[in-house]
Amino acid sequence: MSTTQMLKGILDGCILAIIKNKEVYGYELTEKLESYGFHSFSEGTIYPLLMRMQKEELVTSTLKKSTAGPRRKYYSLTKKGEEELNKFKLQWDHLQTNVNRVLSNEVEEN
Amino acid sequence: MQYELSNKSKRFLEDLRVYLFSSGKKSEEIDEIVEELESHLVEAEQHGKPIEKIIGKSPKDYMETVADEMAIDFRTWFKYILIIIFGAFSFTIFRDVLAGNLSYSLLEIVGHLAITLIFTFLTFIAFKYISSNNFSNTVQLVILYLIGMIPLGLFIGMYFLNESIRTPVIQFGETGSMIVAAITLLFVLAISIWTKTGILIAIVTLLTLPEYLLSKTTLNLETQLILSSVISFGGIGIYLFISSQLNKDK
Repeated sequence: MSTTQMLKGILDGCILAIIKNKEVYGYELTEKLESYGFHSFSEGTIYPLLMRMQKEELVTSTLKKSTAGPRRKYYSLTKKGEEELNKFKLQWDHLQTNVNRVLSNEVEEN
Repeated sequence: MQYELSNKSKRFLEDLRVYLFSSGKKSEEIDEIVEELESHLVEAEQHGKPIEKIIGKSPKDYMETVADEMAIDFRTWFKYILIIIFGAFSFTIFRDVLAGNLSYSLLEIVGHLAITLIFTFLTFIAFKYISSNNFSNTVQLVILYLIGMIPLGLFIGMYFLNESIRTPVIQFGETGSMIVAAITLLFVLAISIWTKTGILIAIVTLLTLPEYLLSKTTLNLETQLILSSVISFGGIGIYLFISSQLNKDK
């Protein structure tokens, strides 16, 4: 399985978590993701995700002027988005524990 | 200072715009995502990232993923089709009314409708296809040229068919012709108000009026033809130029 495929669902949760910390615009968001070690994805993939999140009312956006070039769209988390993030955290913990258990067992059996 | 995007990025943004437009998406939503990506590309280029890092290896796939997240705007779609269809019809009707009374065979009426629909449909398909594939300018022109030839061919076909097959002819007397012309005029005005653009009025007027006015002069037929097409197409060109300039200032 490629990292991209594995990443798909997880990226959503990570984006919510980053937006929760601080209101960000698209480019800033990809830089944050990269600084956390996500390098393999195309940066543009976040926009369709953000569009969907906005439709599902997990995030809202405001346009702000920038000193250089076109305006920037800043995203912030809604109440519903926070709930979604908490749900993601629980699911991730669960998944992580299970996967770790399987993997460590495999090592022991070897 | 404003950063100038690379041609590749500019081209991608234009293609995306056309792709989303011909997929029938809302123009405000298109503006939003294009502006957002433009801002992203500006910053990415300033940091020396190639466009592939942003949109992946296939621009077409990326455009599709973006389009999937946007709702189709049937109202606007409908609006453009209506403008095209009415443009074609009102032009024919006004020209014929100015030349005398109206009379159309059933085949002509149905044929006009069918050809306009086919043409509209093909145009949208062609724009979508062109914008999502990386064709050279020549190939793009050839495709659009072929699409443009189709209605012409169909009209010629219809003309000959109309000569050889008899279908009921609907005759409009003087009053009938006037009523049809008045209804068409009302529709043209209504559509122009609804779509908030004068393009239909301008083009129909420029295509029909010069020819009619010149036919009242004593100039010989050839001069009339040349003059009327120069005025018509020159006028349309000037109109489009002025309105695009006005749009830019907004």
